[in-house]
Amino acid sequence: MNAFMMIVLVFLVVCAVATSLSKNLLVSVVIFMAYSVLMSIVWMMLESPDLAITEAAVGAGVTSILFFITLKKIHAIRGDEEEDRHDKEE
Amino acid sequence: MIEWIRFGLTAALIAGGLFFFLSGVVGQYRFRYVLNRMHAASMGDTLGLIMIMLGLSISHNDGFVIAKCLITCLFVLLTSPTASHLIARLEIATNEHPEKEMELIRK
Amino acid sequence: MTKKNDSTFKSRFMSWLSGENSPLDDELESIVSGEEEAGLDMLSFERAELEEEKLELRRDKLLLDEVAESRRMHLWAKTKGAKWLNVFYRTTAFILCAAIIFFLLSTVVALPPFGAEDNPYNNEVSQRYIEQGIPETGAVNFVAGMILDYRAFDTFGESTVLFVASCGVIFLLKLGDHAPGKPSKAMLEAEYDDRHHEPKNDGILQFAAKFLTPVILLFGIYIVLNGHISPGGGFSGGAVMGAGLILYLTAFGFEKTRRFFTYKMTRWISVLPLLCYAGMKSYSFFTGANHIPGGVPLGTPGAILSSGFILPLNICVGLIVMCTMYTFYALFRKGGM
Repeated sequence: MNAFMMIVLVFLVVCAVATSLSKNLLVSVVIFMAYSVLMSIVWMMLESPDLAITEAAVGAGVTSILFFITLKKIHAIRGDEEEDRHDKEE
Repeated sequence: MIEWIRFGLTAALIAGGLFFFLSGVVGQYRFRYVLNRMHAASMGDTLGLIMIMLGLSISHNDGFVIAKCLITCLFVLLTSPTASHLIARLEIATNEHPEKEMELIRK
Repeated sequence: MTKKNDSTFKSRFMSWLSGENSPLDDELESIVSGEEEAGLDMLSFERAELEEEKLELRRDKLLLDEVAESRRMHLWAKTKGAKWLNVFYRTTAFILCAAIIFFLLSTVVALPPFGAEDNPYNNEVSQRYIEQGIPETGAVNFVAGMILDYRAFDTFGESTVLFVASCGVIFLLKLGDHAPGKPSKAMLEAEYDDRHHEPKNDGILQFAAKFLTPVILLFGIYIVLNGHISPGGGFSGGAVMGAGLILYLTAFGFEKTRRFFTYKMTRWISVLPLLCYAGMKSYSFFTGANHIPGGVPLGTPGAILSSGFILPLNICVGLIVMCTMYTFYALFRKGGM
């Protein structure tokens, strides 16, 4: 285990904790994206490039897009809420 | 002699790229408004990454590696400013009082 | 209805089972149903009206009682209960977390060192895979050989899970059926909701997408087709291709995407590869279990046309994953395809 691996692992733990602790759901999803990218680096360093490609494409790409759309659908993004209130006032 | 020149060029380019990345990260936390923060972030994404890629291609001196680095630069140059543009457009569309944050020139 | 006032548990259960009334009905609900019955009786209108007034009074009283009760409970919850619950919640959470961390860490301590020779996973199974994997499956990347040859049934289950998931999303989220040229009202509403805050037809995004979509799709196809030679395979390549389609859809909208990727086509692309997969693996299981020569040449390892069924299976899985990703995005975003 070299220094780079240690740094990546520490960041992985920090990201995992921050994902569950952040109050804003949007921030949670963004941190989860960072977690997926770090996880794919870890897979790459454990010599399983198949998993690394899949993690980068699915975890960091498509899953985050689906999360974002879901947040938009349920109006959990703050800007959306404000806009709706603005529309009602008009 | 040529090795030393190559090493110096590589080190200078990578250090410059890392400096831009670092200033981008500092700007993320120091600036207050979305557009300013976005400017700092995309500076690290484009200029910093291109400098690091140039440094790597100089240090490797292999046609395939240089081609890969160039393609990566092209990809990032296409995607990153587009994403920044979309974020900026969304911010302008959803911000109700943009004149609080910046000077507006209304036509 | 005869046993309505009977209070023994069994009769109430039986009446609930036969659908007459529910034992879980509280008083309010039964009053509401009674009101409906009274309203149906058109002949004795005045009587019904009186009854209704009486019922309304009773309901008001019940509601008032309930409000008072809930106020009292709210007060208790805000002052004493909140404090007690907070303390209880935090203590329990802390104890649970500490216990789980303790057990997990003690397990980690007891694990054998990483990469040691006499680890339990260095057994005859992995030895067999490493020694016989390339001659038996013909795949240089024998992760692909493992998941699509030795354990192909497992991958078939995963593909089926993806297919069922996209079916469920279509059931839940698809908005109506739209005739060509005449979108339904719900679809128009979804379109308006989607485009309300978003600029339509962004020129810069379209310019970038025009260059990026072919490159991303080509990269996905490369990953899928090279699954048995280099890292990658059906799942990752399909996800990359799906991301390319999502980019195109975001930039150009449904009008242009429907020219080459319609709902009907998505259905066919989702179903046909699954059937192909089932057919191919049934064939190879049948021949393999009965020691019949399969008749599929393995080819030279490392060539693009090699390793028997792995290449077509990779293509099948990639198509399924691409369609699932695209379906998820389109349905979540606008409820249509």
